[in-house]
Order: sequence, then structure tokens, then C-alpha cells
Amino acid sequence: MSIEWTPSEYLLLFRNAGDWHRGLSPQELQEVTDQWMTWFNRLSELGKVTAGQPLMHEGKIVSGKNGQFVADGPFAESKETIGGYFLLSVKSADEAIAIARECPGLAYGMRVEVRPVAAKCALRETAEAELAQSHA
Amino acid sequence: MVAAGTQERDAPPGEIPQVVEHLFRHEWGKMVSRLTSIFGIDRLSLAEDLVQEALARALQTWPYYGVPKNPAAWIMQVSKNLAIDYVRREKVFRDKEAEIISLLEQHNTISNRSPSFAEEIKDDGLRMMFVCCHPIVPREAQVALALKILCGFSPAEIGKALLASEAAVAKKLTRAKEKIRSAGIAFAVPTGKELSERLAGVLQTLYLLFNEGYKASSGPRLVREELCHEAIRLTSFLAENPVGNCPKVHALLALMLFNAARLPTRLDSNGDILLLKEQDRSRWDRPLVSRGMSHFSQSAAGDEISEYHIQAGIAACHCAAPDYESTDWPNILSLYDGLVEIDDSPVVALNRAVAIANVHGVEAGIEAAAAIRGRAKLDAYYLLYAVLGEFEAQLNHRDAAAGYFRRALELADTRSERQFLAKKLKESLQGEKEKKQKKRRATEAIG
Repeated sequence: MSIEWTPSEYLLLFRNAGDWHRGLSPQELQEVTDQWMTWFNRLSELGKVTAGQPLMHEGKIVSGKNGQFVADGPFAESKETIGGYFLLSVKSADEAIAIARECPGLAYGMRVEVRPVAAKCALRETAEAELAQSHA
Repeated sequence: MVAAGTQERDAPPGEIPQVVEHLFRHEWGKMVSRLTSIFGIDRLSLAEDLVQEALARALQTWPYYGVPKNPAAWIMQVSKNLAIDYVRREKVFRDKEAEIISLLEQHNTISNRSPSFAEEIKDDGLRMMFVCCHPIVPREAQVALALKILCGFSPAEIGKALLASEAAVAKKLTRAKEKIRSAGIAFAVPTGKELSERLAGVLQTLYLLFNEGYKASSGPRLVREELCHEAIRLTSFLAENPVGNCPKVHALLALMLFNAARLPTRLDSNGDILLLKEQDRSRWDRPLVSRGMSHFSQSAAGDEISEYHIQAGIAACHCAAPDYESTDWPNILSLYDGLVEIDDSPVVALNRAVAIANVHGVEAGIEAAAAIRGRAKLDAYYLLYAVLGEFEAQLNHRDAAAGYFRRALELADTRSERQFLAKKLKESLQGEKEKKQKKRRATEAIG
């Protein structure tokens, strides 16, 4: 089996996004908007970001075995609020972290969570290979 | 609801989408005024919160979807949508709810480009200007309030610009808003006899705002220049309006434009003060000068000559001179003669003494400086000693000059002022040494 190099995928989650901008002046808000826009555009053009969207703060949380509980949340006040995400296509974790470090929101208390997207291969491919062998 | 304007957005990908300079700040002023006009002046803080939220929504979505084709309309529409949501959800306006919502919905900002709508937005801005500059608010607080409400500065930014702490500014703003609320000030432009009096107050505040930026007080240069440009923006807005389209307003605007044109050359690359004599006139902002000349000619209508007229006239003389040597000092002096009659402040008299020195010689200048009425008030004013030092230096009285510069140096409080005076002091001391050396050499030669 030949091992093909594939770029790895990482998800950047922008946390503490609920009210980090509260204390900013209109001028500062505009500056961060510009910075963020330039950042996102550059990464998109380089093919480093393959998807990215903002998330509204309001939402519902569904829980219970049968999904019987539908509650309001998460709340904008929460430190955990996710304001948006980028899906990165990069060569390494280091590169993903380096990109996260450029986030213009960091200076204002935003936090960026960097999560590798689990690859399809590993377990599944081993299992499929074993399965194929046992049938042979 | 919030994704208003989606049909109009999307800057083509690949283009670097920069938002027009200061757009947020300026739209802020318009929108806070508009919402206040709908909700009432007692809900000023609510209007501010809603517009702040709308700008935060822009920050949240524009980076991903691009800048809307009409960013200003987008901000307006989102602010209105947030306001409608708020009114429905909070029920704070009870019986007024339907009326307020219909007012908010009346104009679809995206499609509405009617002149009447634009007029309405302008009128709200004007009303807000008269509220911020209402005489029940202390003058200093008026400046802070105008910066906050009309220009969208944060308390931290105001503090930086006015050399006050953020906390002190925040306190001042809260008190001012409380005063406005409790006094039940009308959100309206005054009419009749009250108008000219209130307009004079607005002009004084705008003038103070400009001067806060213009005077060589400490603080970052960029911040100070922004104050000047905001003052010009607000005064232009006033001058374009029928209410403010009067000679005095044009005179003030001309004065601001002439002085702002010289801003880029007032300091050298090290941030040290350059005298008018030393400034590179080719770097004066010519478009600002010509705008100034145009308003200056409009200020000539009518028969009132205000202090702004005279000061604009003086500034025009400087701007019109191709170099320092060809400055029309006799004209400047006659303008100062007129100014001291309107404004008997010793600072004006000191400036007049400089003009006298340029027309009638340094000795006459020194005499005029000595004769300033209420000169005691200038005792702690570093410029008095800087001027006297300059006079003495021109007469080659190096010792006396050094004495004055030393005194000025003790009183000056910004780095660039001190730097400038230290240079002057060094020059006069060096001159003194040379003079003594020369004398010694002369005596030696005789001996």
C-alpha cells in the first residue's frame, strides 16, 4: 500500500467571541474588521482556508436521550461562545498553530482553539484491510 | 433579520476589501442620532448600544462574506433591525411600541435614496449637535460628548486626545448624559432668537475641539490631528446646512482649514517644533487652503465681523504668502488691532506684539509686550518668555535672551516645546560665549 501525502485538515474555532468587542470603539472595530478580512482573504487565496463561516450567538441546545430537552443557549456572555470557524488545509499542526497566532481577535481576549480533523484512514483502513484479507 | 443587505453584498474575492477610512466612526454618529430621534433623548445610551452591536455584526460577518456594496446603508439597516428586535423583545416602550416600529420601518435604508430621507438623517445629526453643545452641559464636557456621540470616540480615545484618564472621561460623559436626561432637553434645533445664541455655543465648542487638536500640547500627534479633522467635518456639516450656512460659520471653517493645512509641517521628523519661518511651505496642504479661501469669501457676506473672521484673515495672510519674507505683516497687524478690540485676552495681545515687532521693529515689539494689559495673567505662560527671548536674541542681547528662554523652559510642559526652547537657549549661550571670546581676542589684540 503506497502512502500518499495528503494535507491535513484543522479546524480553528474562535472562542470567547460573545462580548470581546464590547469595549472597542467604532474605529477599533473597523480596524479589526479590516485586519480580519485581509487575513481571511490571504489564507483563502493561498488555499489554506477551504471553508469559514461566522456563527450567530443565539441558538438551541438539544439534549436528553430522545432529544426531548431543547434549551436556549449557548449564551453570548459565555467564555466558550464560538464566533466562527475556519477549516484549514495545511501541512502540519505547526502551520495551523502559526495561522491561529495571526488571529486579529487575540489582542482583544479572543481565544483560538486548534483541532485536527480526524483522518479517515487509521483505524478504518486497517479494519478494511483486515476484512479484505479474511475474505481472501 | 440581521443579514440585511445580503442581496447587495460581496466584494469580488481576491480584491483587498478595505473599508472607507473612518466609516464606522462616522456612521456611528449618524445612526445614534437617527435612533435617538426615534426613541427620545432619554434613550441615548440605548441608541449607542444598538449601533455598537450593529458594528460588531459587521465585524462578525464582513470578513467572511465581503464588504457590502453600500456599507453605510448596511450599518443603518442592521441598526434599525436590531432596534426593532429590541423594541419587540423588551416591551420597554409599551404603548409606543407600534409607533416606534412603524417609524423604524418607514424607510428601508437600502433601497431608499430619496433626498428627503438624506435630509432627515442630516437633520438628526444637526439636532444631536445642538444637544451635545447645550449650555447646561459644561463646555469641557460638551467637547467630550461631541467626540463620543457625533464622532464615535471611546472614552479611552477621548482621554488620549484630551489628556485625561479614561475613567475621568467616562465619569464626565455619564454626568453630562444624566444632565441632558433630567433637564429633558428637546431633541431639536432651536429657532428664532434662541438659535443665534445656541449656534454661537456650538461654534465655541467646535472651535475648542479644533484647538484641542491644534495646540501643541502633548500626546500622540496623530490623535491630535484627528481632532482637527473631526472638528472640520462637523463644522462643514453645519455650514452645508441652512441653519448653519451663515458668515460666522464659514469664517470658523475657513480658520480651521487654513490652520489644518499647515499641520503637516509644524514639526520636523524628530517631532520638534518648527517655526512658521522654518516650515516647508511646499508641503502645506493646498486643497485645504483653497477650501479655506472659498469659505473665507463666503464669510464676507453680512455685516458682522466675528473673532473667527479676524483670525481666519490672519491665517489667510500666512497661507497666501509664498515665503516668510513676503508675509503681509502690516495687514496682519491691522487685523490684530481689530482682534484686541473684540478679545482683550493677554494672549491675543502677545500675538499682536509679535506682529508689531515685524512691522515696526523689535524694540516696538518689546514695548508692546510690556504694555499688555493684564500681563500678570501671562506670568506662567511659557510663550511670553519664548517671545521675549526671541526679541532679545534678535537684538543680540544674548544674556537677556538666555534668561527668558530658561524661564520658558521651566514652564513648558511638552517634550517638543522643551526641545525647541533648549535649542534656542543653547544658541543664545553659544552666541554669548562667542561674543566674550571675540571681546577677549579684541582686547588681546589691543594688548
